[in-house]
Amino acid sequence: MIEVKHISKDFVSAKKYPGLKGAIKGLFSNEKIVKRAVEDISFNIADGEIVGYIGSNGAGKSTTIKMMTGILNPTSGECLVNGVNPSKNRKQNAQNIGVVFGQRTQLWWDLPLSESFTILKEIYKVSDEEYQERMEFLNRVLELEKFFTSPVRTLSLGQRMRADLGAALLHNPKVLYLDEPTIGLDLVVKDNIREAIREINQKYNTTVILTTHDIGDIEELCSRIIIIDEGKKIYDGSLAALKEEYGTVRTVTMEVKSIEKLQEVNLAKEFDVAPKQCRVELDREKNTCQVVFDKHKVQVPQILSRIMEVTEVKDVQIQETELAEIVKAIYRHENGEAVL
Amino acid sequence: MRKMLKIYAPFSINEIKRQLAYKGAFYLWILVNIFGSFISYYLWMAVYGSAETGVLGGMTRNEMVVYVFMAYVTGSMVNISISKTVSDDIVKGTVSMNLIKPIDYRMSLIARAVGDMVYQFLLPGIFIWIGLEIYRVQVLGEQIVSITTILWYLISVVMSFLIYVLFDFCFGMIAFFTTYIFGMTMAKNAILSFLTGQLIPLSFFPEGVQKVFDFLPFSSMIYTPVMIYLGKYTGSELVFVLLRQAVWVLILYAAGSLIWRKVTTRLVVLGG
Repeated sequence: MIEVKHISKDFVSAKKYPGLKGAIKGLFSNEKIVKRAVEDISFNIADGEIVGYIGSNGAGKSTTIKMMTGILNPTSGECLVNGVNPSKNRKQNAQNIGVVFGQRTQLWWDLPLSESFTILKEIYKVSDEEYQERMEFLNRVLELEKFFTSPVRTLSLGQRMRADLGAALLHNPKVLYLDEPTIGLDLVVKDNIREAIREINQKYNTTVILTTHDIGDIEELCSRIIIIDEGKKIYDGSLAALKEEYGTVRTVTMEVKSIEKLQEVNLAKEFDVAPKQCRVELDREKNTCQVVFDKHKVQVPQILSRIMEVTEVKDVQIQETELAEIVKAIYRHENGEAVL
Repeated sequence: MRKMLKIYAPFSINEIKRQLAYKGAFYLWILVNIFGSFISYYLWMAVYGSAETGVLGGMTRNEMVVYVFMAYVTGSMVNISISKTVSDDIVKGTVSMNLIKPIDYRMSLIARAVGDMVYQFLLPGIFIWIGLEIYRVQVLGEQIVSITTILWYLISVVMSFLIYVLFDFCFGMIAFFTTYIFGMTMAKNAILSFLTGQLIPLSFFPEGVQKVFDFLPFSSMIYTPVMIYLGKYTGSELVFVLLRQAVWVLILYAAGSLIWRKVTTRLVVLGG
């Protein structure tokens, strides 16, 4: 159980001025710039949930994760991870969490992977039996044995990420923080990592908090997502609800025999809806007709039957709005309608 | 205590293994260092050769030979720099990877430094030491150093090591404020080679300056153990210099804790 209560983080830095003159001026000025990276964020996460924590670059995702792991102290507010305050009892909290920062490694760079695991075993006081059991599991889901004796610096990015994930899970943490765990990985490795995360979550009921820019991660793993932008929480709810709320736009693309005949058709007027709730776009070169519409107002069969009345339809494609589109729209501070 | 040992011993052992991973660099480093101490040796011999009296700065020619090489042996065990690791960790943001583990950052650094120290002691330290003793008995016709002296020396070296590492930890913290300490490290090394007595025995300095050095932790880093080895301290004086070392260990430990606590509350993890 993770409780985050009105957490805020300010970064204070000395004001810098441009140019050489500015650099000299900076030596004597004492002006400070306060940047609020995270502003009054609250949420609760139950045991065993997989939560996607998303936001554009610099939105404050990593800062929040760092406060939850005890690396950074919040400027105000507090968070409790299983009743422990990470910034006050960092070590006690660290015993119960696993962290993977996709852009860094917690492994010993110059040593074989196996050595890193031996150290971690001692640090987290993992017993021999537990270690055995955990390693069997990790070997199965992450296939570590192939490179278990290679120095970490020789591992490929995909291997290193799997190794890092394994290292974070060795002590069976109750909470797993993943900060962009699939960054820079190819599709196959991404799939493996996702599969592993899912299995870990199911087997050990591990709570997973995941930040990512990869919408695939979210769609495949997360039942719940929290979106933050410019340090503020702007959405917290299930993925399905988000799609329902923002993703009401559908697109039907039809390849037709005669595009000319469709020019006269005004679907919005015929269905008695606002023009932007049902818009027709014609592509003369490809002979396609694209209808973008609000799925709550207009149904696909209606459109199809109307178009087929006019001309022969050769092919039909229906597209749901993708999560990526929704998220993009949210990042751009737009609501669902603006996607139209 | 045993629990501590279990957690932090792997850091020491791994540091040794890590060093072994870069053998080439290490041997080169030894070569450069031994070369340096031989330069120092010939320089001093020239000085003694042209001197009118046989005793300079309270040291005979033979004592100077021992001083030069034992200062090297001691230095290789004591001068284990952790400030570079600290500043790298801060600048590259890897300090966060240490903070997510249930370990004490400083303890892990000290444990790593212990690994380094043991490695440096075994290779090349002990060989130079043995070589020096053979030279002393065979060529100089002196008595071999006594076991008790070695014991006091080793106790003193361990404390010197702690003083150096704890001091260097505080020094590395500067990176939290400046984010770059390369220049300062250069300055530190230059100043330390003087103040610790590695370059010139502190007894060569004027009386007044020596008094000042007595108040600084640096003389306890190399000068003290080497002088103990030379048998310059006996009785209450020996107890005094060892106690002085112990006090410095405590002071620097407390200072490090204080700075670390201050610094982590305003910690900015750089990058990502």
